[in-house]
Amino acid sequence: MLRVDIAERPNWKTLAEELGFHFHTIDGEPYWKESAYYQFTLEQVERDIEAPSEELHEMCMQLVDKVCHSNALLQRLAIPEFMWDTIFDSWRAGQPHLYGRMDFAYSGDGPAKLLELNYDTPTSLYEAGLFQWVWLEQAIEQGLVPRHADQFNSIQEKLMGALAHIGQRLRDNTLHFSCIKNNAEERATVHYLQDIAVQAGLKAPFIHTEDIGVLQGGDYFVDLDDAPIHALFKLYPWEELAQETFGQLIPRLNTHWFEPPWKAVLSNKGILPLLWEEYPDHPNLLPAYFEKPGEKALPPGWVRKPFFSREGSNVELTTNDGAFESVAGPYVDSPWIRQAYHPMPRFGDFHALVGSWMVGDRACGMGIREDVGRITKDSSCFVPHAIV
Amino acid sequence: MTRDDQLSHLPHRKRSLRLSLALMGAGAFTLTGCGQSEEVTDVSFDSPKSFQSVEECVAANVYTESACEEAYQASIKEVPRFDSLEACEAEHGEGACVAPTEEQAQAATGTSGGSWFMPALMGYMVGNMMSRTSRGATRQGLYQEPVYRNRQNQGNWNAATNQASQRVSQRQQTMRNVATQNRQATQRSGFGSRSSARGGWGS
Repeated sequence: MLRVDIAERPNWKTLAEELGFHFHTIDGEPYWKESAYYQFTLEQVERDIEAPSEELHEMCMQLVDKVCHSNALLQRLAIPEFMWDTIFDSWRAGQPHLYGRMDFAYSGDGPAKLLELNYDTPTSLYEAGLFQWVWLEQAIEQGLVPRHADQFNSIQEKLMGALAHIGQRLRDNTLHFSCIKNNAEERATVHYLQDIAVQAGLKAPFIHTEDIGVLQGGDYFVDLDDAPIHALFKLYPWEELAQETFGQLIPRLNTHWFEPPWKAVLSNKGILPLLWEEYPDHPNLLPAYFEKPGEKALPPGWVRKPFFSREGSNVELTTNDGAFESVAGPYVDSPWIRQAYHPMPRFGDFHALVGSWMVGDRACGMGIREDVGRITKDSSCFVPHAIV
Repeated sequence: MTRDDQLSHLPHRKRSLRLSLALMGAGAFTLTGCGQSEEVTDVSFDSPKSFQSVEECVAANVYTESACEEAYQASIKEVPRFDSLEACEAEHGEGACVAPTEEQAQAATGTSGGSWFMPALMGYMVGNMMSRTSRGATRQGLYQEPVYRNRQNQGNWNAATNQASQRVSQRQQTMRNVATQNRQATQRSGFGSRSSARGGWGS
């Protein structure tokens, strides 16, 4: 694994705009960065990322099965009790899921270490699935990278397969897509998924999360025309949905959710200590445990994360030599876990995080984020990768 | 046929051969078509069409009839075949399997008839076989592999909806009544009110 400086494509910003990638720059700061790329060998990708991802995924699926059957474990994960039956039923019925992303600390040498799962509302999907792919095709064409360069990326293709599979079994072949208002990045991510769904032969109408309605006596959540929403993709976390006004209606109404309710088990950092308990000393896992009430300050070599948080918020860490780093945030009302600190590799000023994409049950791509800090956050840049 | 068998004749390639956009990428065709930028003329954005049948493919007027037929026959050869409907449904779900039509049997095995079953064909199996690039229409052999593993312990998620709702406890029923009582019109804003650290929920 190397970080290689490279010339940018001359017109990439124009192309980004034309392809709907309006958030390539966020608040004046670059988000998409192509002045460098991360270079992997095929062996690194297949042996160290792809194979472990699929293995970890299977471990997670087995753990979901175990958690769904255990009230004690559901409780331990702070999942509200009224959701337990819904989660269990969705798992037992085999409700399919679309996708997820595992975040690894990986240096190119030694096993990739799972930092966390983003299995409910993963983003950076468009960047990884489409724009990164276009970058490589053009970089090859323009002689910026070797002709034989490749990329671990069939994300969009696999999503299309998954959506085609799912769409066949949805009423009217229709899947509604939703995200909150006033967030261009999330709207673009959902738009991208709608795009793929349409290519897979589905009808893919959009509704803002806030506009989802409930009719008295109805069996489904409804759209703005009060028509039933039979199946709904949400870019909104399960733990938040459940807490809201309509949360109590989820078990009662028949709307199918994507991701399915059982993903609540995996969108929770409590899954990390459970994985470690179930598979101790697995080479791709880091030691993790549930923080005890009143536990003392973070000793060197440990990271503290809330059960529920997004984009690095409220994460604190103390490096092995005692340096403390943290990201502020609002997620202070859930329990915490502690995980052994494993440094991300550093290339110049940047710490690199490898995101490994799963679609259905297949590992199918990677996206790299880099940051000057040790905690990856929403402002961390997306940098393309190539297999050379 | 095992996965390895399917892959053995293919180049070792970790990225998709082609991608297309149906909704977001309207500008891509324009950009390629009118040559505004020399650098991007070789980006291959393909027609997003996918088809359920040869007839539908031909009717779309994008590919020649022979290209449509060739792709269709190639895709149907890839469809897994089962000796019984039960065996097929056990793997692909209840109601997901059919006996092949005479034409499908012919395309798949080269002989008419045959007592076997297969999952109902998905459109993408045809659609993915073909692509159209700025250099003209081409057909690309693309292997298919299932996105989902078979999990024996799981049921038919589609049929399970009502079953699930029947398990709602009395307690939840009461909560529902509280949540919806005395309301005549559609209620909204019941989701999306929670604030996140940065005004979004992606991770």
